[in-house]
Amino acid sequence: MFFQQAPADTGAYMIAGYAVIFGVMAIYLISLVIRRRSLQQDLQVLEEMEKKEPPQ
Amino acid sequence: MDGAPVVSHAKTPGLLEGMRLYLRSIAALVWKDLAAELRSRELLSAMLVFALLVILIFNFALELDTRTRATVTAGVLWVTFAFAGTLGLNRSMAMEKDRGCLDGLLLAPVDRSAIYFGKAIGNLIFMILVEVIVLPIYSVLYNINLFQGGLLLVILLGSLGYVAVGTLLSAMAVQTRTRDILLPILLFPVAIPVLIAAVKSSTGFLQGLEMAEISPWLNLLLVYDVVFIAVAFMVFDYVVEE
Amino acid sequence: MEPKPRLLTILDAVTAALFAIAVGLVFFYAPTEAVMGQVQRVFYFHVAAGWVGMLSFLAAAFAGIVYLRTGRRHWDIVGVAAVEIGIAFIFINIVTGSIWARPIWNTWWTWDPRLTTATIMELIYAAYLMLRQGIEDPDRRGRFGAVYAIVGFISVPLTFMSARLFRTIHPIVIGSNQPGAEGQFDMTPRMLQTFMFSLLTFTFVFVDLLWHRVRLGKLADHVEQLKLKLAA
Repeated sequence: MFFQQAPADTGAYMIAGYAVIFGVMAIYLISLVIRRRSLQQDLQVLEEMEKKEPPQ
Repeated sequence: MDGAPVVSHAKTPGLLEGMRLYLRSIAALVWKDLAAELRSRELLSAMLVFALLVILIFNFALELDTRTRATVTAGVLWVTFAFAGTLGLNRSMAMEKDRGCLDGLLLAPVDRSAIYFGKAIGNLIFMILVEVIVLPIYSVLYNINLFQGGLLLVILLGSLGYVAVGTLLSAMAVQTRTRDILLPILLFPVAIPVLIAAVKSSTGFLQGLEMAEISPWLNLLLVYDVVFIAVAFMVFDYVVEE
Repeated sequence: MEPKPRLLTILDAVTAALFAIAVGLVFFYAPTEAVMGQVQRVFYFHVAAGWVGMLSFLAAAFAGIVYLRTGRRHWDIVGVAAVEIGIAFIFINIVTGSIWARPIWNTWWTWDPRLTTATIMELIYAAYLMLRQGIEDPDRRGRFGAVYAIVGFISVPLTFMSARLFRTIHPIVIGSNQPGAEGQFDMTPRMLQTFMFSLLTFTFVFVDLLWHRVRLGKLADHVEQLKLKLAA
């Protein structure tokens, strides 16, 4: 490997590597967005409930 | 078991008097654990039988013939000690928790780190007792002389480091919902350096390597022990706070 | 919930721009390595992800210390946020390293100090989350989490040292040249620029993600308290 002229053909591994990098980062970002959405929905419901029955 | 440490005249002690009080409460705690164990013998016997079972399983899993024995003995011993140690750590802290001793101890007018040192010394004694019984049995079973000064020193240092972290983490683990499974998960990744160093230096002594090759591992063991005893001493307060 | 701060919007934009430039540099500016070929390009983001992992472990330990000192919930939220980001990025680091190692070392995995340490760090992070899951009382959850983040962080250099006393084949690209390390290469100026820029970019990514995750944590905290209030 160290004595050959042309660089080794390792393009497929590079693609796999960057697929993992972009993939994991995208999944993490999406999970942040989804969690925020669901929390905001919860918050809305809770705030409505609070309005309906004010604390005694 | 019966009652918090005996601290009678806790007025406003001077430094020397305070130190003596501190040491006395550690001693009382250790003694309490030992006395309870002397009566029930449930912890030691469980650890011991467990340790022997682990060695038995290794015997068949690894086919401990004469050739492999020289290289794997240290590994087998330390895995055994680590597993048995986890068992003991978990049980000893769970007992405090279940019988409400922890709450009682917290009321005692003594620094909380004394509780840590008391429990840690108790755990260390149990672990060393198990090791003291396992070593001759292993020696007889596999015809290896394990009673060498260097090896015994490694076992002491390794157990010390393992117990120093283990006592802190078991105090946290028993206060969680998943307490029975949590301790090994918390302890093993943090205890890896002490286990690697202990296995390596034990192998070094067993194979009669030169001191120059063993001493880096011994240094690592020492550093680990000092660092984690200091850290546990500083943070233990937050683990038992109510 | 408080509205999104202006500074965060700016940070988002800057981070996105930096990231786009870094990707451009990696694929079009940095030369193809003479021996390893294309796969060497993985190196830039591989190291940067590891850097983010270390940063978040440091941040979690720091947040832990401050939380124990002050008892302010804010720092507990920062601690969890950092750990979560750390898990994601150490995962990227380990997997990309493995993908790189396959053609260069001819194996997916070896027990090299860095690989070992990264893996154990990931396990410590996982244990941290499991510890927190088992505790209901938020105050105790925060305290125990903080203690474990500190203990875990301190153990990492010791783990690295113990693993290092074994023979290593991982290349040390920065600093001393170590004979015998396979996959070693000298960085050309363009490679070095790309590498440094990637590190800078990922530092921004870390800060940006941490900020967003902390805001999410605070929102979750707020919802939790509202639920308790209504249940009472």
